[in-house]
Parts: sequence; C-alpha cells; structure tokens
Amino acid sequence: VDFDPSEEQRAILESVEALLARHAGPRRAIELAAKGEYDTALDRALADAGFAEIARSDGAGPLEAALVVESIARAAGVVAAGAGMLVAPQVAGSALAGPVALARAGDAAPIRFGAHARTLLLLDGGEARALDLPPGTGEPVRSNFGFPAGRIDAAALRGGASLGRGSGERLAAWWRVALAAELVGCMRACLAVTVEYVSKRRQFGRPIGSFQGVQHRLAECAVLVEGSGWLAREAAWLGAPAEAAATAAAQASAAAARVFTDTHQFTGSMGFTREHDLHVWSMRLQALRLELGGVGAHRRAVAEARWTPGA
Amino acid sequence: VEFGWSPDDLAFRRELVAFLAEALPPDWEEISKGGPGSDAQVAFSRGFCARLAERGWLTQHWPSAWGGRDASSWRHAILGEELWSRGEPRGPQYMNVNWIGPTILRFGTDEQRRRHLPRISAGNVLWCQGFSEPEAGSDLVALRTLAVREGDHYLVNGSKIWTSYVNHAEFCFLLCRSDPESSRHRGLSVLLVPMSLPGIEVREIPSVVGERYFHEVFFTEVAAPADCLLGEEGQGWEIASWALQYERVGAARYARAARMLDVLVEEARRRGRLSDPMLLEKLGEARATCEAARLLTYRVIDQREKALPPTADANVARIAGTLAERAVADLALEVSGGEALAYGSVAESHFRMAMTAGVAIGATEIQMNLVAGRLLGLPRE
Repeated sequence: VDFDPSEEQRAILESVEALLARHAGPRRAIELAAKGEYDTALDRALADAGFAEIARSDGAGPLEAALVVESIARAAGVVAAGAGMLVAPQVAGSALAGPVALARAGDAAPIRFGAHARTLLLLDGGEARALDLPPGTGEPVRSNFGFPAGRIDAAALRGGASLGRGSGERLAAWWRVALAAELVGCMRACLAVTVEYVSKRRQFGRPIGSFQGVQHRLAECAVLVEGSGWLAREAAWLGAPAEAAATAAAQASAAAARVFTDTHQFTGSMGFTREHDLHVWSMRLQALRLELGGVGAHRRAVAEARWTPGA
Repeated sequence: VEFGWSPDDLAFRRELVAFLAEALPPDWEEISKGGPGSDAQVAFSRGFCARLAERGWLTQHWPSAWGGRDASSWRHAILGEELWSRGEPRGPQYMNVNWIGPTILRFGTDEQRRRHLPRISAGNVLWCQGFSEPEAGSDLVALRTLAVREGDHYLVNGSKIWTSYVNHAEFCFLLCRSDPESSRHRGLSVLLVPMSLPGIEVREIPSVVGERYFHEVFFTEVAAPADCLLGEEGQGWEIASWALQYERVGAARYARAARMLDVLVEEARRRGRLSDPMLLEKLGEARATCEAARLLTYRVIDQREKALPPTADANVARIAGTLAERAVADLALEVSGGEALAYGSVAESHFRMAMTAGVAIGATEIQMNLVAGRLLGLPRE
C-alpha cells in the first residue's frame, strides 16, 4: 500500500496536467457548451501524447488511466475520457475508435456524447456489445448538464460485436469505476472554486467562509470526496471487481449530491451564473449521477456483490 | 499509488485469524457485551494480551530495543482491524500499545521507558487517560487540574471526568497545569501518575454506553514523585497533541462497523429479508461508508509509516470513521427490530459502542474545524 504517487505516476500526472492547462479548462468548456460541441482538439492532443492507450501501456495500467480520467474531469475536458481511456480498453481489450459512448440496452434516453460517438459500448444483460456508429446516427439533444448529449435510435442499437461471456459484468464494473473517477474530478473542482469564493466573499464584515456553519459543511464534503477518490483508485488498481467498483460509484454518487447542494448554497446566486465557473462541474455531477441507474442501483450492486453473489 | 499487501503481511493476517479462532472462547460474545471497560472484558484482556505478547504481536511495531520487533505500522494496523472487528479482546490495553507506549518512548527518559514499556509490551498493565475535565471538554486547553512542583514531588489537585478504565488502571496519563499562572496551551505538563497514590478518588458515572464506561477522578493533595513528569515541564500540549494524533486512528472502528454489517446481513438473511431492494440499498450505502473510512485510515497509517508530520488527514479519517459507525448503528436497529431491545443483543451492543463515536477523542465539530482550517484553508473567524 502506498498513497503517494510513484515517480512514473508523478510524471504521468505532470504531463497530463500540463497538456490540460493548454487545451482544457472551464472557459473552453463554456465556449464549447454554448455550441453543443465535442472537444476534438483535446481528444487529439491526448491521443498524440499517448494517453488514449494508457490503460494498456507499459509502465501504466487502469489505475494510471483512472488518475488521468480524474484529472481531465477536474480540468472540465469536454471529451469522453472515462469511456475511451478506461472502460473501452478494459472491456474490449483495446482502445476503440473514439469518442466512445456508453449505454444500456432498452434505455432510449439521451446519453453523454450520443451525437458525437463513433463507437457505442452497449450493456445488454450479461453481455457487452461494441457498435460502430456511422456519422449522423445519434441525434443531438440540447442539455443543461455540462456534456454534449445525444439520443440514439433503438433501431441503431441492434447487432454489433459481442465482447463475450462476462463482458456485461466487466462493462458495468469499469463503467462504475470511470463514473467514480469523473465524479471525483468534478467534485474536487466544485470544492476548490467554492473554497475560493467563500474565502473572498464578505458579508457581515467577514469572509463567509469563516462561519462555522459554512466550514463544517465544506469539511464534510471534503471527507466524502477524499474517501470517494481513494475508493475509485483502489477499485481501478484491483481491476474493477464488482463490489469495489460499485462501492466507489455508490460513495462518489452520494457525495456528489452533497457537494452539488452545498457548493451551490455557499456560492449563492453567483454560482448559478455562466459567469462563474462552478456550473461547469456541478451540472456535470447530476449527469454522472444518472448513469447506470444512479446511486440506488450502485448501492444495491454493492450489497449484491458482497452478500448475494449469483442471486 | 498502489493498494497491495506484502506476502508477509498477508501471511500474518492469516496466522492471526487462525489464532483468534482458537483464542477467543465460545462465550466471548457474552464476555464482551459489557464493553471494553467491563470487569469481564478487562479480566479477559489480561490473559489475552499476555498471549499476544508471547507471540511477539502485542507491540511488534515498537523498536526491538523496547519490546518490539521493528514491524511496520501496517502490521499493527492489521492487528487492530482484526481485534476491533471482534469486539477488542485487548480491552483497554489497545490504548497502551497504540499511543501511551509510543508517547513514553518518544518523550520519556530511559528510566521511564524501563519502568513502563516492558510491562506494556508484556500485556499486564492497565492505563487510563486523564484529559477531559468538567470545564474542559472540547476546549481541552481550559483544563485546570494543577500539579505544582514542591521539592521532589508534584502536588496534584483537581479532577478529571469521562475517564474510562480507571477502576482497573494502575497508571494515569495525566494532562495537567504545572504553571498556575499560565493559561491555554502554555504551562501544561504530562504526569505518569500511579493510581495507588493517596488522595486519588474514583467515582463511577453510570451511563447507557456500557459497564464502568465513565468515571470522575478526584485528585486531592496527591504527591506525585517528580520523576513522573514526562518530557519537560510545559511540554504537555505538544505531547498530548502528538499522542492524540495517534489515537484518532488507533481504534479501527470502521472494521468493527464493517464486521457488524456482515453479521446483520446474516440476520436479515435468516429472516428472509435479503430480497428487499430497499434494505439492500441501505446495506450497500453503509458498506460503502465503511470502505471509505478504511481507506482514509490507511492513508494516515501510510503517512505514519513514512514518519511524515501529522496532517488534517487524521481528522478526515476520524470523521469518516464516525460516519461509518453511525450508518451501521442505525441500520443495526432497523434490521434487528424488536430484538434490539434486549440488552447485549448483537444490534444493541454495537449501537451502544457506536453512539460515542462523534464525541470520543474530540467531538466531530472540532475535527471539522481542523479540516476546514488545515485541509481546505478556510479563513479563521
């Protein structure tokens, strides 16, 4: 057990942070969101730097991929990082043509990146299927939740290559790990901008962040976020066993509800504006909280994996 | 970042689990239901700790020169997890090995080390901690118990409260004010006081937490020999802070909560409730809370193993442990229903121990103040 990054991990994180500082950030996310666009340039920069393959490269693996996914979320990258860099390689055995979107069979609701994805990983019971999506397959859907969304017609969800027995469980588990990593990245950013805001904003002659009523709720948020972060990392390191993956997703989804409520509460009306950056990450928390059945389903998955396997 | 255990650590855990299966008697549940301060559990702990000591496990994380084996903090954490999850058969002695011994090792004279450490590492001495006072709880530095140097002794006057294990204790780790003119953090000292000295009176405070859980201790003109002083006069706050840092993650409460959850699930299974999706959801929620506390505690152990200076991560871990215990305690009552009304039932025993989580070793609100200030960097009032 070692909670500090190794030298290799430090190098990976430094290089991805440097890349994100140039190519991502909340301002760019706001700009792209206004047009409903996907960040093709960031995707290309990440691929050129070798990050697309990080989960299966020498000297790195799914844990390093999860760390990078968290960083990208924290930098508000408008790319399908979790699905492309973590889920696809771990479920299909290699990176798939990106952007990659994730969906559940029989669920016709809009999904993240649904109008931009070239590959769809479909969770269909115990099996996962990979489908090529010809351009124009997904219908763009305007969304207020921070990601370009799209609806894919049910007819387009037939066929595709089965990824074999057990691939459904694998997809669900890695999807949960990726969700947890993205939630954690977004939550860290929400907390950081809120801490900055309440440290500067003065009312009653003092910074509002000096009130204990504010401090305690942010401290509790920090405890929940820290715990979620380590759970996501451990789940990735363990190779996404069902219980650990669901545990990370359950804890991060529950934390996200608290972080959303409290960071918006403490940033007041300013936090609701497009002028302030909070919404870039906070609205995404809600989108992420919806996936794979949400917090209730993650929690049931924890219990089923631990206490009633195979039931 | 990685989360693997060494083969040696894994082997140790297996050996320990096998030992515990044999060392804990069939009526252990009955023995332990009164809590770690109960007469039955204290009596049991004496023989049990001696057996751990014989195997070299009780204080293996101490240096070999002082009754240890130079083992890692991880090894001691494994011991703590397995013992706490079984209701802590070390009884009050977990305190001795977690922080009283290490604090004496760090701040004590060789003479004090020779006097105390061999007995602690042999598992045959009981200690209590004298921190809280009637007017000094969360605001610990408001404490008023006086210890004034007079010739070859300190004259101690005052009282301590909420003290556990004191009826059996042979020594008290006493935080007191050695400079009567001082205030707050300054002028505090730690005395290692033999409880047999004349002038010490103990009164039990009956509580719903467990047998002999709380006491008030009165010191009236107690003459404590000057060589009871730990460290320097006036160094008390530094020593207490160092000790508390250890204590905050010393008790593996998350491990007990996680084990309790497994027990509850078996009860729910017997009653045919395990197909209830609402119950599964709550169980999953509680389990995730325990797991988060486990990793946040491991993080502090990692820092300790690397001998890094203490950070707010210890407070984070303590808050997470409290959340885990509460989540499981609430669920315990819900799963057990009316059976929980019986004193000593599984759910009731856990609930009783868990209800102190947010208060023991510093109220949650104090931990949150520290997280807000040190981790988040929020401004002071």
